[in-house]
Amino acid sequence: MAKRDQDGAVIRPRASNARGPVGVRSRVRPVTVGLIVTLLGAGGARAEGPPRTIDQLAPVSSRGPLLLDAGLSLALPATWQTGLSTGVEVGAAYAWGRALVVGARLSWATASESSLAWMVTHQDLRPRLTAALQRSAGRGVFALRLGLGPTVVYERRVRNQGERAGLTGSDLATSTWTTLPAGELEGVVGVHVGGPWLLVLAGGPSLLLADGAFHGGWATQLAVGWQP
Amino acid sequence: MSAGGRAALAMGLLALGACGKLQNFGGPEPPLVSFHARFDGDLAPLRPAGVTSERSLRLALVWGAQWLTEPFCVLPPESSEVAAVIAAGCRDPFGFVPSRVDASVALLPGEPVTLPLLQLPTADVLVGDVTARVAYGSLVVFDDRDGSDTLELSFPRRGPIGGPGGGPRVNPDVTDASDIVYGASFVTMTVPDQRVAYREGGFNENGAFYPRAGCPAPAPAFSIAAAGGFSAPAALAATLAGTLPAEDPATCSDGAPDAIEVAIPARAPAEVQEVSCDERSVTGAPRYREPPVEEPDFTDRKVACAHLPSFDTGGGLGGLLGGAGGAGGAAGAGDGNAGASQLQLVVSGRPTDRCKGVTHYVLRGCREDQSCGLPDWDYTADPTTIPWWPCPR
Repeated sequence: MAKRDQDGAVIRPRASNARGPVGVRSRVRPVTVGLIVTLLGAGGARAEGPPRTIDQLAPVSSRGPLLLDAGLSLALPATWQTGLSTGVEVGAAYAWGRALVVGARLSWATASESSLAWMVTHQDLRPRLTAALQRSAGRGVFALRLGLGPTVVYERRVRNQGERAGLTGSDLATSTWTTLPAGELEGVVGVHVGGPWLLVLAGGPSLLLADGAFHGGWATQLAVGWQP
Repeated sequence: MSAGGRAALAMGLLALGACGKLQNFGGPEPPLVSFHARFDGDLAPLRPAGVTSERSLRLALVWGAQWLTEPFCVLPPESSEVAAVIAAGCRDPFGFVPSRVDASVALLPGEPVTLPLLQLPTADVLVGDVTARVAYGSLVVFDDRDGSDTLELSFPRRGPIGGPGGGPRVNPDVTDASDIVYGASFVTMTVPDQRVAYREGGFNENGAFYPRAGCPAPAPAFSIAAAGGFSAPAALAATLAGTLPAEDPATCSDGAPDAIEVAIPARAPAEVQEVSCDERSVTGAPRYREPPVEEPDFTDRKVACAHLPSFDTGGGLGGLLGGAGGAGGAAGAGDGNAGASQLQLVVSGRPTDRCKGVTHYVLRGCREDQSCGLPDWDYTADPTTIPWWPCPR
């Protein structure tokens, strides 16, 4: 039977704390009464269950088919072959059986690069419908995810040195929107770290169609997932 | 419609509505500013000897340098020989001195031409601190004889240098550029000019960079500023009084480059070619040279012995005032070069040289200072070392 404290709550057995390093005890010589009570209580619980090591992983409580995640996004800017686009990404996935997962994702990332004449800033908005094949192994989830959808690019070009030269209006800066079909094929690794929480890593090549030509790229994601 | 459906619809409309074309880093590069000019005149009678036609007339923007003339050139001469050297070897002390050649375009006489500028002037041609600095430029018409599509600057051709211990030293003989200048919008401050102005931040009139006292400050960024010019005596008098020579406000103007067509009349190259003459030293401090052991070839050069300038005897300022107030500096009340005892040998360039320059030889001294305590060379003790030295030792 589990031992209960004064409020009636169950006291979990904490065998490691029962002993405590001698050095620690010597450093905290002015021990409080509360700590003594805790130690004694833990010592009492030790006899009622198997001891649990201090590095034991937290239990995983994920059981449902829905996985939500949010995190950082790093990618090659759309239509560029240089630079790094950084931003955020959110996603939702629903497990359809044990292996198939479908979902939707949305990422926003921005990048700025310069030439002699221009400072160009791209903001890429990537809504995607995704389908993935996944396999679980221990606490890990491995998946191959295909995402398809438009990439909406907002481009702002500022003429370098234009403000110092007194340029204004469209002589100084121009902006435009465009939408390009695109997709990514990403490898996804999710690790259940405890409770409903996961650490999600994803990355892989991307393909974008612009001006009648395909542009290759890559996209990565580092996110925290929640799967109740 | 559910919330998810509305979001999907909004996303779809956004995607469909975004149909612009990305430029990325491509597309045309609009100029930061464009200058409009017109070059008029008949070049045939102005061509130098041996030139029968123009190879490629071009208009170039040349940014000006902050340059000070050396005292020898503005102090009243102590002799007619020195006056001859000054006349042959000293450039206009109020003239435009180039620092950097910027963009250039081809032009045809009598037709308007537009010169686009894709880059701002670099910091080395801006005068002032970062809160108030300005650059001035001249629009120069030249015949691009060497086909480089830009104006090549020339340097004064100084006399030969002696080496350490009297031995020979390699003296790179500067060659004149082959480009021929036929006109410029800003030649000197003593005649009316139209100059390209670029201003950042405030305007510090006391910076005295090609001053236009009495005229409004040039507008921020690019503008075309004009002034009527001032006389050389008035400029000297104002300098001695610690002020700037005043322009006639009625001759001043400052306008946007798009609204002004700069008129550049054709002129004889001998009158305007100094705008393409660079200077190795802009501080006004003369560079003294060690005389070579062998007598240099001074053919076609003006040569004179002159006292080194001195400003601590009162003679310099008095002489300058006399020169500024009277007709001809040589007949002034005094001369500023007679204050020091050591003599220098001053040598002008050749008449065929494109750029004027004076070479200063001293028997004892350093390159930057003829009265340095530890001289780099000293031939005063042994008269036989420099046997050809023409001046009293």
